Amino acid sequence: MNIIILPDEVASQIAAGEVVERPASVVKELIENSIDAGASEINISILEAGKKLIEISDNGEGIERTQLITALARHATSKLRDANDLYKISTLGFRGEALASIASVSRFSITSRTKNSLEGGRVIVEGGTGGKLEDIGTTVGTLIRVEDLFYNVPARLKFLKKDPTEKRQIDAFVTRYAMAYPEIRFRLTQDNKITFQTSGNGDKREILSSLYNPEIAKQMLVVDSGFDQISIKGFISPTNLTRSNRQAITFFVNGRWVQDTALTSALIQAYRTMLMVGRYPMAVIFLEVPPELVDVNIHPAKSEVRFMDQGAIFRGVQGAVKRALLAFTPVPELQNQLRWSSMAETINSEFDQGIKPPPIGTLDDDSAKSVDGPIDKGDQNPLPVEGVPLLRQIGQVGASFIVAEGPDGLYLVDQHAAHERILFEKFMKMQKDKIPSQALLDPITITLSAEESNLLEDNLPVMGKLGFVIESFGPKTFRILSMPSLLIGSDPERALRVVIEDFEEDEKPFHDQIEAKIIARVCKRSAVKAGKILSTDEQKALLLDLEACSSPRTCPHGRPTMIHLSINLLERQFGRKGAR
Amino acid sequence: MKVSVLQENLAQGLGIVSRAVSSRSTLPVLANILVKTEDGRLRLSATNLEIGITCWIGAKIEEEGSTTVPSRTFSDLVGTLPNAQVDMSLNTQSQNLNVNSGPSNTDIKCIDSQEFPPMPKPELDGGAEFNVKDLKEIIRQVVFSASTDDARPVLTGVLLVIEGNKLIMAAADGFRLSVREAELSQAVEAPIRAIIPARALMELARVAGDGDEIVTMLLPEGRGQVIFRMKNIELSSQLIEGNFPEYQQIIPGSHTTRTVVSTNAFLKACKQAEIFAREGSHIARVNVIPGNEMQPGTIEISAQSEETGSSEVFVDATIEGDAVLIAFNVRYLREALDVISTPNVALETTAAAAPGVLRPLSEEGFLHVIMPMHLGN
Repeated sequence: MNIIILPDEVASQIAAGEVVERPASVVKELIENSIDAGASEINISILEAGKKLIEISDNGEGIERTQLITALARHATSKLRDANDLYKISTLGFRGEALASIASVSRFSITSRTKNSLEGGRVIVEGGTGGKLEDIGTTVGTLIRVEDLFYNVPARLKFLKKDPTEKRQIDAFVTRYAMAYPEIRFRLTQDNKITFQTSGNGDKREILSSLYNPEIAKQMLVVDSGFDQISIKGFISPTNLTRSNRQAITFFVNGRWVQDTALTSALIQAYRTMLMVGRYPMAVIFLEVPPELVDVNIHPAKSEVRFMDQGAIFRGVQGAVKRALLAFTPVPELQNQLRWSSMAETINSEFDQGIKPPPIGTLDDDSAKSVDGPIDKGDQNPLPVEGVPLLRQIGQVGASFIVAEGPDGLYLVDQHAAHERILFEKFMKMQKDKIPSQALLDPITITLSAEESNLLEDNLPVMGKLGFVIESFGPKTFRILSMPSLLIGSDPERALRVVIEDFEEDEKPFHDQIEAKIIARVCKRSAVKAGKILSTDEQKALLLDLEACSSPRTCPHGRPTMIHLSINLLERQFGRKGAR
Repeated sequence: MKVSVLQENLAQGLGIVSRAVSSRSTLPVLANILVKTEDGRLRLSATNLEIGITCWIGAKIEEEGSTTVPSRTFSDLVGTLPNAQVDMSLNTQSQNLNVNSGPSNTDIKCIDSQEFPPMPKPELDGGAEFNVKDLKEIIRQVVFSASTDDARPVLTGVLLVIEGNKLIMAAADGFRLSVREAELSQAVEAPIRAIIPARALMELARVAGDGDEIVTMLLPEGRGQVIFRMKNIELSSQLIEGNFPEYQQIIPGSHTTRTVVSTNAFLKACKQAEIFAREGSHIARVNVIPGNEMQPGTIEISAQSEETGSSEVFVDATIEGDAVLIAFNVRYLREALDVISTPNVALETTAAAAPGVLRPLSEEGFLHVIMPMHLGN
């Protein structure tokens, strides 16, 4: 076997593969450089999704003319001096790979001037070779042009996604960095059209508006919390604003955008029981952690980080989000412009489709106006923090909903969802003490698949805590000896199978969450069903119990337990207010 | 059809059969009562396809015929009629039933009787015979233990076994078991084993009179049905398919502590404990404290709730065996004690995790097994 040392060119192309995966990663690396250079204005200009041209100019401190060539060498950086610095990195970049990598796979030019010199310099490199310094007149700052990216790596070029996808990626990077650095003016131009820009006035909410849309930005809740030297700030969506995937969850650690599944699931856990299954929150969270407590040097793209005390950070995030949520969880309110006759449909479809208010018939031409502005200033008042107001039972509609009066209008309570929430909290409360369990007259034997039985075997202690006494009864066979007394009236075998399914589905970042999940599932089945006629006393009791809950506004699966029709809304509907 | 009946009889008959009317059915005719002339009497029938009830009342028949009348409307109307003769005549063409009594004259829109599900006509031979009063008592003593959850349909029924002249009824809901044995005055030829829906038996107990009437139980072969026939009332029900748990194996063969207490005092104590055990899980502790030369034995029944408070009741008892502390669902205790008619009852226990058995003193062949509860660790 003949072993040779790879020529520099090949080596840098291999290294480039890790850093420069797609046009968006070029944009990311270059923006990070500009930010590290202290720029207050960054302009990004893209042609053909970055395949033709990526041009980034900033007004940062620039690079000395004489150092421009060095800057393009591999492992050349201004951000690090020795290995110790690696443990307290406060700049976005540090590896000294970006420029070299990008230059090796494109036609690359860098123009820069510092404020101390009158003359700028320019270096043009093709595929990593060439590179002659020439003098040129320019403004203070750096301008980098990356043309014909991957022209010499056709394989890479072939594997790029379609243009719109690549463009979206670039948008995502730029908007997110704009979010993290609201004091920097960003301007992104794609194919000669400005697609995104910020004013650099430091207002994060303004950037939120361009990240999502103004309506959503207005509703986002503020997270502001921290402990020790760690600060957790940002914006999260209220429970009625969700997405069907996790894409809208963004984390920044020390100003660096990271994609960390563990952080994401910590955030989602905080929403647990408040969101419907399959819905995810939106969030932008900024974590400030002392540099020595976090390791960013895990992957060349630096999108992963590792914390010294992972658990503490997660708990911190979860706690901060939860606090913000509890304080602001709103009771969903019926939209003003809905017809009364279509209310039932509204409620149904709200339940079916999640949150978006369905475009059902509007009252009249006036509605156009009411769609624009906030529905009513009175309705936008922050609701009483946590809990529900005192409710006076009025009656039951459709054997499914309880009508009640509160201090500020009418409330419709979904009896099933409400009861689910009540059972859930009772069970959780009990779980803190001890869950009474009821022995079975004749133990039920169940046979499971190998995988299921392993799962069950592992979780027998948890099951015991929940009141399921189960013993192993031969290979893959178990006997249920006792079940939680709360579940009397339901089939023990079915209850257990539901629980095992949960073990399978669980992503298991936090083991103790399993219990809550199981309980939520179990409560769903034990709760009073829609369609059951309740006596006046039962309705009153349900409302009282609901008032006693700590998060009464959603069922454990995140459906709303109640809908609020404010006096204001009623007055408007009857034409007593807001003349039509 | 043209018939005359007494309002009193009609009202009573409707009251009986309307229990089987299906309140929510996609089949509109099931909300109706079949009214039919039959063997010189007027037959009223209702069914929800699981349970069917038929009642015959005396009538003067001028013209034979049949129709089905909406149950609610008919019952409400008859309830307001004077206690006198009611004349009914059906317009076959329009299916309008004219009901005429004294000054009142009403027309009710009916549905053709052709649409009504056919009701079985059993042979009257070979059935088992009971005294109505005895049967009602036996039903009352076991039926409450049956399950109300449809997950295990077998447990929503009552097992009925007849061999020779020995009758056994057993019901269980997965946490408790009630078994009652009795002797029949007349032996049956072939042994019978069937699971009858608890609901059907409850209805039977409700519609059957209090007299010394005889009720005949028939299990027509291959129909999966049971029919109880009395003089003027007949109740039929689908049987439940499946295997009833081997209840004999569930009854503990031995015990280490036997506590004899006054049924009434024990029942009262349980009712009091239930007030506080109601929240959450109905858990009540029974602490069996044997006596000595100085003082008699007692049992302490206690319950507590985080919200309402706690309760303890002491009941004097004659105790053989060791002290034991065991927890039960107090509702199960109360319901079992409620149907025990002897003045004293024995509670047999072994350990906190072993079932408890309640046996009425000096009454053989009647027992309740109740599984204990415990607090998780």
